[in-house]
Amino acid sequence: MSFILGTILFVVGVGLLDARLPWPRSGRGPT
Amino acid sequence: MIAGHFGFAAAVKSRTPAVPLWALMLACVWLDVVFVPLVLTGVESIDSVPGQPPGAYGAAIIHANYTHSLVGAIVLAALFGLAFAERYGRRTAVVLGFVVLSHWLLDLPMHRPDMPLLPGGVDPVRLGFGLWRSPVAAALLELALVLVGAALYARAVFALTAEHPAKRRLGRACAASVLAAGLLTLALNVLGQ
Repeated sequence: MSFILGTILFVVGVGLLDARLPWPRSGRGPT
Repeated sequence: MIAGHFGFAAAVKSRTPAVPLWALMLACVWLDVVFVPLVLTGVESIDSVPGQPPGAYGAAIIHANYTHSLVGAIVLAALFGLAFAERYGRRTAVVLGFVVLSHWLLDLPMHRPDMPLLPGGVDPVRLGFGLWRSPVAAALLELALVLVGAALYARAVFALTAEHPAKRRLGRACAASVLAAGLLTLALNVLGQ
């Protein structure tokens, strides 16, 4: 459960929250 | 190791801000993500050390001749990086590939000797330094990775939001989320969940 929950928390939860920060962009697509 | 991989990925984000965090987080556990369907189909498997309950922290012995062989990990890292190369560029692809491979390198000190060099079970060599035999030491190492990763990520976020005051609250939420998610994942893992 810790693996599944951790992956969802970090990839979906924290990852999408972080994507709203104005980091520099790489490549051609959105980050 | 689970939470420690996420801590490492957070640290990488602080040094490579243009690489999406979600992709770094997926990359750092990609070998385990691929491992799951291979376990479900019987290609790879996971056991517990005799006398330990299934899922106990540090008690896993894997039979992962593809995902957790060094050559297999390199192939999976290359494929993962290639999948991002066109859209996000070569540098991001290289960073993500390295983070995928970091999984094998960080597993090496933790696992009992169960990780081969070559895929397919043709290689009798099994690597792993066995820190999991000392669960307290292993958990402390993971905790250090989580704390250092969260601190480096928070420092990068605060430097970024100092130039974008409207994003300061969001930045604090991101920093707190990385720390909280890391500690929660580690706690559940240590508790055998």
